[in-house]
Amino acid sequence: MANFLAQFQTIKNTSDRLVISVEDVSDVWPTVKPAFEARLPFKRATLNNKTRNPVLVEALPAEFILTTDARLRSRFPHEQFLFWFREPYATIVLVTCEDLDEFKTILKPRLKLIVQNDEREWFVVFVSKAHPANDQASKMAKKVYAKLEVEFNTKKRERCCKYDMHFPEANFWEDLESKVMECIRNTLDRRVQFYEDEIRKLSEQRLMPVWNFCNFFILKESLAFMFEMAHLHEDALREYDELELCYLETVNVTGKQRDFGGADHGDDQAALVNPGNKALTQIVQEDSFREFEFRQYLFACQSKLLFKLNRPIEAASRGYSFIISFSKSLALHERILPFCMREVWVTTACLALIEATTSNYKDGLVAPDMEKEFFRLLGDLYSLARVKFMRLAYLIGYGADIERSPVNSASLSLLPWPKPAVWPTVPADASTEVLEKEKLILQTTSRTKSFGIQRKPLPLEPTVLLREANRRRASLSAGNMSEMFDSRQGPMEGSGFDTPTRMSPPPKALASSSISRTNSSPGNFEGSIDRPMRLAEIFIAAEHALKKTISNPELWKSLSSSEEFEQKYLDLTRGAADNYHRSWWKRHGVVLDGEIAAVDFKHGHFDQAAKSYEKVCALYAGEGWQDLLAEVLPNLAECQKILNDQAGYLLSCVRLLSLDEGLFLTKERQAFQSEVVRLAHSEMKDPVPLDVSSLITFSGNPGPPLALCDKDPGILSVTVWSGFPDDITLDSISLTLNATYNTDEGVKALKSSTAIVLHPGRNTITLDLPPQKPGSYVLGVLTGQIGQLRFRSHSFSKVGPADSDDFMSYEKPAKPILKVFKPRALVDLDAAVSSALLINEDQWVGILVRPVNYSLKAAVLHIDTGPGLEIKESHVIEMESSAGVSENDGDQVQNDGAEIRTLNSDKNFERLILRDGKIEFPNWASDIPSILWVLVHAISDTLSRGSSSATTRRESIVDGMRTIALKLEFGAFHNQIFERTLAVHFTYPFYVRTRVTDKCNDGTLLLQVILHSEVKATLTIYDAWLDLQDGFVHTGQTEGRPNSSFFPLIISPSSKAGILFSICLDKANVEETREKPESILNIKYGISGERTIGAHPPVMNRSTGVDGARQELIFRSAITLQRPVLDPCLAVGFLPLPSDCLRVGQLIKMQWRVERLKDLDEAGVSKQNDEVLYEVKANSGNWMIAGRKRGYASLSPQQGARIIISVLCMPLVAGYVRPPLLGLPDVDEANISCKPAGPHLVCVLPPPLSSSFCIPVNP
Amino acid sequence: MVREVSESCVDSLLTEMVACYCNRFYANKPELAARRIEAIGYQVGHQLSERYTMERPRFTDHLEAIKFICKDFWSELFKKQIDNLKTNHRGTFVLQDNKFRWLARMSVDPSIDNASSVEDNSAPTPENKAAQAMSMHLYFPCGIIRGALSNLGIPCAVSADISNLPACSFVVRIKA
Amino acid sequence: MIVCVAVVGHQNNPLYIQSFTEADDALKLHHIVHCSLDVVDERVNNPKKSGPMLNETFLGLLYPIENYKVYGYLTNTKVKFILVTTDLDVKDADVRNFFRRFHAAYVDAVSNPFHVPGKKITSRTFAERVSTIVKSFGFSSAG
Repeated sequence: MANFLAQFQTIKNTSDRLVISVEDVSDVWPTVKPAFEARLPFKRATLNNKTRNPVLVEALPAEFILTTDARLRSRFPHEQFLFWFREPYATIVLVTCEDLDEFKTILKPRLKLIVQNDEREWFVVFVSKAHPANDQASKMAKKVYAKLEVEFNTKKRERCCKYDMHFPEANFWEDLESKVMECIRNTLDRRVQFYEDEIRKLSEQRLMPVWNFCNFFILKESLAFMFEMAHLHEDALREYDELELCYLETVNVTGKQRDFGGADHGDDQAALVNPGNKALTQIVQEDSFREFEFRQYLFACQSKLLFKLNRPIEAASRGYSFIISFSKSLALHERILPFCMREVWVTTACLALIEATTSNYKDGLVAPDMEKEFFRLLGDLYSLARVKFMRLAYLIGYGADIERSPVNSASLSLLPWPKPAVWPTVPADASTEVLEKEKLILQTTSRTKSFGIQRKPLPLEPTVLLREANRRRASLSAGNMSEMFDSRQGPMEGSGFDTPTRMSPPPKALASSSISRTNSSPGNFEGSIDRPMRLAEIFIAAEHALKKTISNPELWKSLSSSEEFEQKYLDLTRGAADNYHRSWWKRHGVVLDGEIAAVDFKHGHFDQAAKSYEKVCALYAGEGWQDLLAEVLPNLAECQKILNDQAGYLLSCVRLLSLDEGLFLTKERQAFQSEVVRLAHSEMKDPVPLDVSSLITFSGNPGPPLALCDKDPGILSVTVWSGFPDDITLDSISLTLNATYNTDEGVKALKSSTAIVLHPGRNTITLDLPPQKPGSYVLGVLTGQIGQLRFRSHSFSKVGPADSDDFMSYEKPAKPILKVFKPRALVDLDAAVSSALLINEDQWVGILVRPVNYSLKAAVLHIDTGPGLEIKESHVIEMESSAGVSENDGDQVQNDGAEIRTLNSDKNFERLILRDGKIEFPNWASDIPSILWVLVHAISDTLSRGSSSATTRRESIVDGMRTIALKLEFGAFHNQIFERTLAVHFTYPFYVRTRVTDKCNDGTLLLQVILHSEVKATLTIYDAWLDLQDGFVHTGQTEGRPNSSFFPLIISPSSKAGILFSICLDKANVEETREKPESILNIKYGISGERTIGAHPPVMNRSTGVDGARQELIFRSAITLQRPVLDPCLAVGFLPLPSDCLRVGQLIKMQWRVERLKDLDEAGVSKQNDEVLYEVKANSGNWMIAGRKRGYASLSPQQGARIIISVLCMPLVAGYVRPPLLGLPDVDEANISCKPAGPHLVCVLPPPLSSSFCIPVNP
Repeated sequence: MVREVSESCVDSLLTEMVACYCNRFYANKPELAARRIEAIGYQVGHQLSERYTMERPRFTDHLEAIKFICKDFWSELFKKQIDNLKTNHRGTFVLQDNKFRWLARMSVDPSIDNASSVEDNSAPTPENKAAQAMSMHLYFPCGIIRGALSNLGIPCAVSADISNLPACSFVVRIKA
Repeated sequence: MIVCVAVVGHQNNPLYIQSFTEADDALKLHHIVHCSLDVVDERVNNPKKSGPMLNETFLGLLYPIENYKVYGYLTNTKVKFILVTTDLDVKDADVRNFFRRFHAAYVDAVSNPFHVPGKKITSRTFAERVSTIVKSFGFSSAG
């Protein structure tokens, strides 16, 4: 049946619309034809699709053909069912008649005859020519039509309609069309049914050997075409799909070796979109369809339908996968196809498909995501074409023009070489071209990257082309050829563009060899098998072979020169990039932009290149693909450098530096750095602040933060990590501190104007820190200056154990680097001595210096003495570490004794000199408490006064006080000041009291001198004598000394001792004026005391070398002795109380009797008269005096005169109380004798029992 | 492949960790201690979620993820599921475990009291001392939940509520 | 043979890339992996296209490129595994199996308490495990 194919295709191509045959019974067609054809094509036809579901066809093209027409006549019935799609789908029988008889006799039989053949779908159109004016005629026409209806209408279908030529009824055309449609529908259904049955029959016996695909194809195709004619494109498409399916599974069963095809000229141009590319007869030979052509044919039909269905997106996606799969099968048959047929075909196919789909695509009709999908497909097609095109170009030696970027490498080096049966050889006459090519190759130098980056360029070849080609050639010749050729290949290994540096032969050798070939006979060329081809030859050979392959002049033109190639390359790349940009696949697009940028760069369009490169870099950097970034970023930097975009260039350099070390050699990184430094020191138009956070990171030192006390400056040391490969000098650096607690507190910036050299890796820089407010601080931002360049870094380096325990930097609070404590006591000064020191002597006063967790390094103590105290400037000052409790850790006093012992053991001691009131502390005293021993001398010019037993002690503690003002300057910068005034108590060693103990009747008085020791030291009295005042003399020969058996008299601290002197009144010169008003007690004593306790032996200056062997001091004290009255002139007696029971709240009368013992002589009392002043002294708490306390009472001067002084008073408290005393202020005590002597007590009883008082009943 | 560890070990590890952070490292900074404990939990949850979501289809919405936490994740951790899950459908979920294992064996003994009372100097009543101790122990599971969810792409804040022991309810607030 | 395997973090940042080509042309594989993220994004962003295998971790073949194949795998934690292979007839079952084992290895690697999530995987044991998995690729179900 294959011989019908040609006919089939011609018929198929000619007939494109449905045929409706017109049986013109009574020659009216010419008259009605125009009216009928005006109805074509039929609007809104409804047909049944394959599954018998009604489908609405907008416009159904059809054609009226008379049955007498030649086209219908000249047909052989046997081929009918093959080409049934072209047979009429309906038959219209046109009749007209005005006469019933005529109708009955002639017309009816004829019609019966016509319609008896039930093959056709028919109906009758009665045309009435009767003019409406002529109503008789029209009446007749009606009659005839009625007859007609009776004859031909059946109850289930009416087959008649009446067409009035002059005034057609309104509904006639609808009637007509519906009838036509009905016919067409039925015919169509019947035919579809028929074809399906046939196809089913065939496909049942599909696996039999006799089966012939051709028949199947024709049937299927006819069916499909019929659908297509009926505008049922969906069904047509389905038929083609089934056909393709069936073909693929039959063609792939490896039965007889069938011809693949594709050998003819022009086959390299894909025929994806024009089905009529080849006649079917060319596709089929001995009823086997050539895969190459046929599959393209099928796809062409499908795509045509898809476009008719307005589904270009589906066409594109189907097309893409078709190209991929078809390229595979091309690869299978590559040996029989021309050289690089596959690549060329794919290229053309992609381009053709793109062209077709885009031309059929109308924007905005589909959902946006579908649209994106479409553009993605276009992008894929473009890039596929691009890859193949690059491969072709590479084969003919344009490899140097192809950027060795990752994308190109990925697409080319994973793409295997073409595997032709025989690798093309150099044609005989091509030697000059070879020479040219070799020159070209020698001239091509690999583009040197910026910064002198040395990179092994990425491969564009799956295997080394030179080797591949030669091996393929060699495989043709003798078997062992390949091995020996391999051995020879050794040194030339890896030549080709991958290593342009070692280009294969040196020029001279090249010249000689080429010469040898130029004058070599053509016969020599068979030998070109065993001589491996050189690269240039391979290129030329490929070029010639391609010229044979490629039939499309436009494509060939774009491969003719490297400029043309580049143009095409750019077009393809742009196409891919743009479409990808409009799709989901942004990355693809951006990467391809990078490729375009490379070309722009080559041509010096640096601004465009920079733009694209920036996009690429942004993409890679944004997602952290550093390896890829490292490939592109240098190019961007280069562009910026050339464009003199300093800011951008700097930034790029910094970014380059901050990439992983592994990505660049140290040399290269040093180059980046030198660029940065160079720019920084060159004057820039607009010095931008540069962010080097990625390069310079900083952190506090691991461990506790620097702790400072209030008002303390400090030195902050910060760890700075430098990512620079070399040392880099920062001309200045400043670091901000942020207070953690009070954020409103502005940031403090620590500056160091001195240049700092950062070494690669870890550095520790120190900044001096002015006093800060109390609080804790974290590092803020690091800014600085390199030349004119201001840089800033705000990234903390995550180093040190502190950070390792949690990885979420945002979780982690920044580790405080500085703590400034609230103000507190840092040191304590105190007097080391508790008890009094000796006055008027050189004494050590100890000053206890206690640091409180604070170092007193190089502290200075100013000592200023108050009045009455002076410091022996001449003498040294002793300093020793204070033993005992170590207040250094003040919180736990008296911690384990071990420490104390150690403190004792290494007990520091040092002599210091006081210079103009200042003392420098030694280092050992900086942390431990220490005592300063200062030699002071307290002066008091007043003599110590003793007192008699009667009078109480006069002098107060105050006049022994002396003050020392201390001012301690300490802290790192003597910024801390501590001031204190110490009060030191000085005193005389003794306090003296005297009393006359006894009066012998011979007038000798025993004077007892009581010595109170005032100091916490043992006093030794060696000698004591008394210089008596006038009116007294010593008795005996003792020169005023007690008998020496007393001495030495030792007085232990704060105890008393007494010395007795026997003296008597001096009778002689009583009346003379007294010039020695008081007597002086001299005591020669020694003191043995510890200065830490208090008074101690005064320091002798070196002149008297006697050091405390027996150191004798003199103590002098003044005592006033009064002449004792030997016979008093008044006697006061306390009269017994009237009632013996004194009760609280009971008035009693106190009575004293005052009696004059002797006559009042002028000596005793002066010229005063006979009155005595009396005064009652009583404790007001105990007594209430009712009467007057003080008054004069008259007492006659005669001896024996007596009076009674009585006072009313009331006891206020119960118990033994001192009664009121009567005193006589005028009279010297010595002249009064009291009986009973001295005070006594009276008993006061509780008040009597009464309602108002109650007393506890005590057993 | 699957190696397991005895519960008592985990319990004592937890208590020990809490004790360390509360009493030793951040004795006087409870919020810092809490944060660190929570951070450890976060890492643990992060990694566990990586493991336990193997071999299962991706979650389409938050609810699925939360359900995963309630069912599989919880039973991997505690051999039981969350007993009750509530949500206002605006990103807040309440996961209640009626017998939370890590609190089941916890009794408020004085040592823990001291541990907790380190934080607040205002002498607390024993009850809220206990509550404090408890809450310190709850930062870890909260961190686990937060880590797991955020690793599943759901940033959220997790807090725990122990109003009626030993039931413990975790409140997950998803950050919009 | 498998040319390259990669782990890509949830911010599309490379966590681990290992290429198994002898030539030092890893960069082109970086490129392939990186671009394949486009497809992953597409699949994730409009799920209806990835129809039946919705939310399945195995994303299947990402690229119908004629000379190599790229397979993808997306974990629940938005971590992507990419496999680039040059043998053109690969059984899906093999790839699934490969990814399952790879995922296990990955989980063990990131469960290491010293591994910082979101940072590159530097564990040597992980690398070894991966290479063994890669070596045994295809045999597991085929053999």
